[in-house]
Amino acid sequence: MSIETTLIAAMDCSELERSVDAYLDDEFDHSERAEAEAHLARCGRCRVMVDAQGRLRAALRAKLREAMNAPAQAGQAPPALRARVEQSLTHQRKPLWRRALAPVPLATVAACAAGALVVLATHTGNEALLEDAIRNHHRALPLEVDAAAMPGWFAGKLDFHPSPPHFAGSGVRVEGARLSNLREWPAAYIRYRLPRGQAGLFIVDDPSRRFDAPGRVVKVGQGVVRVTSARGYNVAVWRHDEIVYSLVSDLDESQLFQLVQTAQAEAGGR
Amino acid sequence: MFDLRQNDLTRDEFQELALKHLDPLYSAALRLTKNDRDAEDLVQDTFLRAYRFFEKFERGTNMKAWLFKILTNTFINRYRRSVKERNIVEGTERDAVHERFVSREAAEYASNPEQYFFDRLLSDDVLKAVDSLPVDFRMVVILADLQEFSYKEIAEILDVPVGTVMSRLYRGRRLLQKALASYAVVSGVLQDPGEGASIDMETYRRRRGKSA
Repeated sequence: MSIETTLIAAMDCSELERSVDAYLDDEFDHSERAEAEAHLARCGRCRVMVDAQGRLRAALRAKLREAMNAPAQAGQAPPALRARVEQSLTHQRKPLWRRALAPVPLATVAACAAGALVVLATHTGNEALLEDAIRNHHRALPLEVDAAAMPGWFAGKLDFHPSPPHFAGSGVRVEGARLSNLREWPAAYIRYRLPRGQAGLFIVDDPSRRFDAPGRVVKVGQGVVRVTSARGYNVAVWRHDEIVYSLVSDLDESQLFQLVQTAQAEAGGR
Repeated sequence: MFDLRQNDLTRDEFQELALKHLDPLYSAALRLTKNDRDAEDLVQDTFLRAYRFFEKFERGTNMKAWLFKILTNTFINRYRRSVKERNIVEGTERDAVHERFVSREAAEYASNPEQYFFDRLLSDDVLKAVDSLPVDFRMVVILADLQEFSYKEIAEILDVPVGTVMSRLYRGRRLLQKALASYAVVSGVLQDPGEGASIDMETYRRRRGKSA
């Protein structure tokens, strides 16, 4: 094997032979290409080899295209498949937070017009938090304490003091409470009986502000709430300092907002 | 209080960006599954998954490469290859690495004017030859020689190093030539294409004392 001493180091025959694919596929960088071409300039045998490989490559590619690209049958999706894919996309349930992007319900529009609330934006967050909230509420596990015994019951059971909002004057009655959780956050869960339907409220302590629920960001009264609809429930999530409230309800949105607004007004007045 | 982010990706946008690659994806799916029913299912799964993960797609990057990556991942997960087949493929690849030089014979074969036997091949024979390759080689040849992805793109699609792409491609192309030769109308006049190993660029750069 001779050593080249010219300015551009040249490849030798065996190196070029073994990297001819990369050369022909145009994968060499600038200096490698220069080295290969320096060798080719003075080696007729390799020129013949590269030339032949190049023609072979082109012939092979042309043949593959002819057999496997449209309009060949093997290269063209059947029209029925296109229709099937389009249809399945239409029926595809959007991820939870994307469903939050669905057209705003009429009641919300009406409320907006009345100046009660403004949709600010849509926020992507941790869907699992909402899924937990809806599932835990929906399972309706037995309550551990009734309304009368609830004050003080959480003391010692959670690392924080969950002060429930007061839904004063809105016909909301506490049914009872139990311990629950949303992902890794231990939660106080309080179930309410409403004039029509019911609601579950999860209260968690989140000093590090990692509890990040997705949803439409809506201004309700003085506060900001994130709202999502899923599995027949509307969920409103809002924060007071380090405490995060997640209210799951089968109320329609405008009623849910009224309820939240009651709690917000109450908190604002404190 | 809340981190506000606007997100306006729509199904229409997805359809516009993704569906134009339906034909190439179907073509690849057909060669992977080897039957049209499974190929159609695979393509549909690919689009549904892509749609679900559309948030993760960085707009402005290569949509076609991204879809091919989802297609191959879906194929591997759904039609998981038997341990046996995988061992065979890896064994072949190992053999290829151990062979040190491409034979002169291969170069002579390549310069043989009979390379034009390709022209006389029927598309059906080409498909049969492609299908005869072990699936890892088949995929690399399709991605490089039909879809014309770069080595780097193929490495990302298949989640393997560039060196592996190069050795599979080298091996796959030679196996394909061999298979095509066996279908050639002019069979009998061709020499064995040889089974040397490719040199990967990293090895070459190392030997030249350069950092890649």
